[in-house]
Amino acid sequence: MPKHIVRLIALLAGGLALGLAAKWYFTAPSFYEYGHYRADSVPQIAAQEPAFQGAGYCQGCHGERHAQWSANNHKSVTCESCHGAAQGHPQKGKLPIPADARKLCTLCHEKMAERPRTQPQIDSAQHGAGQQCIVCHNPHAPRLAVAAALVAGDAAAGGRKHAASCASCHGANGISPNEPWPDLAGQNAAYLARILGAYKSGAQTDVMMSPVAQSLSDAEVQNLAAYYAGLSCRAPARAAGAGAAAGKLLAKNCSACHGETGIAANPAWPHIAGQKSTYLANTLKAFRAGLRKDPMMAGVVRGLSDADIANLAAYYTAQSCGPASKGKGGS
Amino acid sequence: MKREAISALRARRGFLRKIGRAATVVAAAAAAGTGGVMDKAAAKSGAAAGRASFPTPDYDWTKHRWAFGVDATKCIGCLRCVEACKHENAVPLTAHHFRTWVERYVYLEGEDQPRIDSQQDPVNIAASGSEREYRFADRYAGAKVEKAFFVPKLCNQCTHPACVQVCPVGATYKGADGVVLIDHEYCIGCRYCVQACPYGARYFDEGKGVSDKCTWCYHRITKGLQPACVEVCPVGARVFGDRNDPQSPISLFIRNNRVQVLKPETGNGPNVFYVGIDKAVL
Repeated sequence: MPKHIVRLIALLAGGLALGLAAKWYFTAPSFYEYGHYRADSVPQIAAQEPAFQGAGYCQGCHGERHAQWSANNHKSVTCESCHGAAQGHPQKGKLPIPADARKLCTLCHEKMAERPRTQPQIDSAQHGAGQQCIVCHNPHAPRLAVAAALVAGDAAAGGRKHAASCASCHGANGISPNEPWPDLAGQNAAYLARILGAYKSGAQTDVMMSPVAQSLSDAEVQNLAAYYAGLSCRAPARAAGAGAAAGKLLAKNCSACHGETGIAANPAWPHIAGQKSTYLANTLKAFRAGLRKDPMMAGVVRGLSDADIANLAAYYTAQSCGPASKGKGGS
Repeated sequence: MKREAISALRARRGFLRKIGRAATVVAAAAAAGTGGVMDKAAAKSGAAAGRASFPTPDYDWTKHRWAFGVDATKCIGCLRCVEACKHENAVPLTAHHFRTWVERYVYLEGEDQPRIDSQQDPVNIAASGSEREYRFADRYAGAKVEKAFFVPKLCNQCTHPACVQVCPVGATYKGADGVVLIDHEYCIGCRYCVQACPYGARYFDEGKGVSDKCTWCYHRITKGLQPACVEVCPVGARVFGDRNDPQSPISLFIRNNRVQVLKPETGNGPNVFYVGIDKAVL
């Protein structure tokens, strides 16, 4: 064989050997094990630690919250949807409680044509008067427990019952002569029926009211509610007492349900405009002490001092129960 | 026609593969004298046999066939999935990097084409306040909307992934359980795969210098968890499971609904199944 051909073959063979050696050297050990890739990369990817832990992880410590949440209609929204990933909690500190509920809640509940109709939606500009959502809604049990029941009572029959059983304390015209007792005239019928029902069932107790309510039939409760709702709340206008101005600032937290001046937009909630200030203060204190039970009120009054309560009572008692309250109490 | 073209393409690929194998055998025979290489190849096949359960002791990838379902009729566009995904997978917090995203399709009265935007639209970023928060602006509030809906999107983990075929270094591959993964140590950042994906599911992570995409949260599903987006979805618009289990959520989803996939004509064989999308959704 000619010399130059031998050289050429030797050169090619040397190049091939060098190339194969380089490939052998540079290829990762697990390459080609399962295919044209590095098999060791799969366990590496799988080894990453999960950030989101799932609601079961939260339940370990927050059992009570978990029980409430999982029994209500936010149960499809997991803890970490709002509070963020639980990785490192509690060792590395607390998870955030969303500061701006209006911002968070509207992500799902702002009214948009693009959303499915089954999704509960609100026009946030028209809803809640700029309040934080959590003032009225418990995020773990968001549906309002209070639904306004339709009141269909006989006002005339209610009037006769009133004269016999209620007038001595609540006044001949539903305007109480006594500071600790509430005016009933012009009050929302649905609210009155609900509260009388609560006294009747024992869900709410009062030395005076419980025995009276227990003696009432369901029809009588409806009749009384209809009767008081139809009365005019013509209580004499009261001069604004000390603290009314401070109370007005605090009242921002109440206005979403009870209206800016104490005229509730929803018949399930009571009007408080022009109500007796001592009664208002006592009721707020009863909510604060847990003697009266309402999930919404309990949350609202939690942070109120005695002075705050006095100021709020002073503010609302000075408001006019006015024409807005007429006709809002149902039939 | 298209289907024939694709099968012809597959036949051609198979033929080339055979030629390649023959060439390898010849080369190996030639190199037998140099030793080493063959010994190492033998060692490799030994290692493969040695792994009882791969990739982890508790998870055997040959026993699973993952799939994903999206019910667009349920999606409310809250974007909790997008936020959760970014956190779970350390995706760069900019408006240009998403492993999953949500598109909005709005048909206004008298218009034939839908108006399409996603959370990275400047109007939506303005509504959320920053690129790190996600919110769909109520931009059609006053308009006469004829039809509108949201469509969540993510990597389709295709049966015949174009992205895997174009990778020049074997840095991306399809596992036995159906998930297309990326080896960040091998990726050279050439971005061929980003270009190849017909769904725009891949992005280039400039910080790490590698391509990245949705892995259906591979680190979670191999531990028995749901992907993070499925975990946080408040309305059950995202469904995930194992098609090997006839009672898994995804098997029931596919069986009980008329499902469709995106761009079936590309031949990639996507594995994200959609319910309630429109012809305009690609």
